Amino acid sequence: MSLTTPLRRSAATTARVSTSTTFICSQCRHATLLRRPKRPYTFTQLITLSDGSTFTQRTTSPAPVYRSTRDTRNSLLWNPSSSKLLNIEDDEAGRLAAFRAKFGRSWDANTPVEGEEAKTPTDKKDGKQSEEEAAAEAAAAQEEEDNLLDLISSFGQDEHDGRSGKKK
Amino acid sequence: MAASESSRYLARSLPRAFVPSVRPQGFCVRRNASDQASSRSPAVDLGELESTGALLPGASESEAVKSFDPAALAKGRKKQLPRSRYQFRSPKYDRGPLHPHRPPPPSDPSSRLYVPGPFSLPRVDQTYQSSVASDILTLCYVHNPPGFKPPQKSARLRTWDDSSPYHKNRPLRGPRGGDVLRLLRKPITFNNIPKIERITIHSYVKQAAQENSGWLHVAGMAVQAISNSRVETFKSKTSVATWGIVPGRDTVSVKAELRGENMLHFFGKMVDIVMPRIKDWDGVKGSSGDSSGNITFGLEPENVALFPEIEVNYDMYPPKMIPGCHITIHTTAKTDKDARLLLSAMGIPFYGKMVN
Repeated sequence: MSLTTPLRRSAATTARVSTSTTFICSQCRHATLLRRPKRPYTFTQLITLSDGSTFTQRTTSPAPVYRSTRDTRNSLLWNPSSSKLLNIEDDEAGRLAAFRAKFGRSWDANTPVEGEEAKTPTDKKDGKQSEEEAAAEAAAAQEEEDNLLDLISSFGQDEHDGRSGKKK
Repeated sequence: MAASESSRYLARSLPRAFVPSVRPQGFCVRRNASDQASSRSPAVDLGELESTGALLPGASESEAVKSFDPAALAKGRKKQLPRSRYQFRSPKYDRGPLHPHRPPPPSDPSSRLYVPGPFSLPRVDQTYQSSVASDILTLCYVHNPPGFKPPQKSARLRTWDDSSPYHKNRPLRGPRGGDVLRLLRKPITFNNIPKIERITIHSYVKQAAQENSGWLHVAGMAVQAISNSRVETFKSKTSVATWGIVPGRDTVSVKAELRGENMLHFFGKMVDIVMPRIKDWDGVKGSSGDSSGNITFGLEPENVALFPEIEVNYDMYPPKMIPGCHITIHTTAKTDKDARLLLSAMGIPFYGKMVN
């Protein structure tokens, strides 16, 4: 009897620490039920995007075909350069502009575009000054390009200076 | 006790070995057969032998050999063959590593834990393999001229200066400014291109504790519908006094963890169909992420209702009970910057200040 008691005690202790991830090759007294994994039934669905492209996917929805009216092909967020999606009013005859000139108030006032304003004084100035400005512009463009190259080459290089940038 | 018993049996069986047997020991050369075969001449029996051997090439092809065509037989069979009489059934319980009857591993089709699949090649995966992976590899390429040696970085864990005798055998100190050791970003090469590892959909339903469990059931069904996988429920770990939530008592949240095929289908559906339909949405905030490559964003209840699975039978869900959810995209990228690069290539828009 004196021989068996310590053995029993050790079995009890190993059963208690069974949650650890390390593999303990000792007797486990309990039995764990192996539950069959439950999976919802899935159908194959054909998805038609707004531009007519289709693809299939597995889904719980029983509808065999899904036609989308609004998706990545025709939303502005995914197509920022698309002029078709850009919400610009069609004002070929200038009637809307005329209306604004007449009745426009604060946000609706018919103000000239900022780019045009900036351009007009530069044209009036003498040739010498404009040459200098052109040179300065070229230098700025060159600098910007260098910055872009730096950005490309230094991607992911400046990580891990010891602390998180997020916490700053 | 057991030892004494075995010794008793041993004592009883031992003398048997030493008792001399009655039969004579040694080789037995005597023939016991009683026929006359040995006395007959061998020439008489030769007539019974076949003249051509079975292994010779010129051996006659019998009718059975000519008609033997197992492929045609199998093709012409109308019904399935009966299965073999013995079929292995996995034990219902896992009784530990020392039990003689062990269940097979979950990858075995006879295991109770076996999940078959994948059954399809998702579009997102095809896009990733064909274009996104190579694009990321190109974008993350850093050219080092020949002979370039990267500058030595100091060790991340600092040593103690031995100014005090108590510094001896101390474990190393953590980095300055905090104990957190962030993940190391290795240069991205062909074998560690970031990819989506898993997606977690999590929904905290406070009304499940305040009102009734119906909220939790509806949230579970909605999350299951959009994710193609079963959900788990969780009890609250923290107490929220204003909502009357007690840790360990109230089951308040629902989680689905998606991997593999389910994950890719969910991701594609979310990006292609749901996100463009969200009203007044700029994208995912650039400051989201846990700074180790996992990006989280939230969907409001009205956005969750935009999923085609919920839309197709919208009447099934009580409109007020459709949950919002948090979606965490776990990527194998080590930094948020890389993860954002991957996700924006896969179609998730980001806005605002990008924080790493």
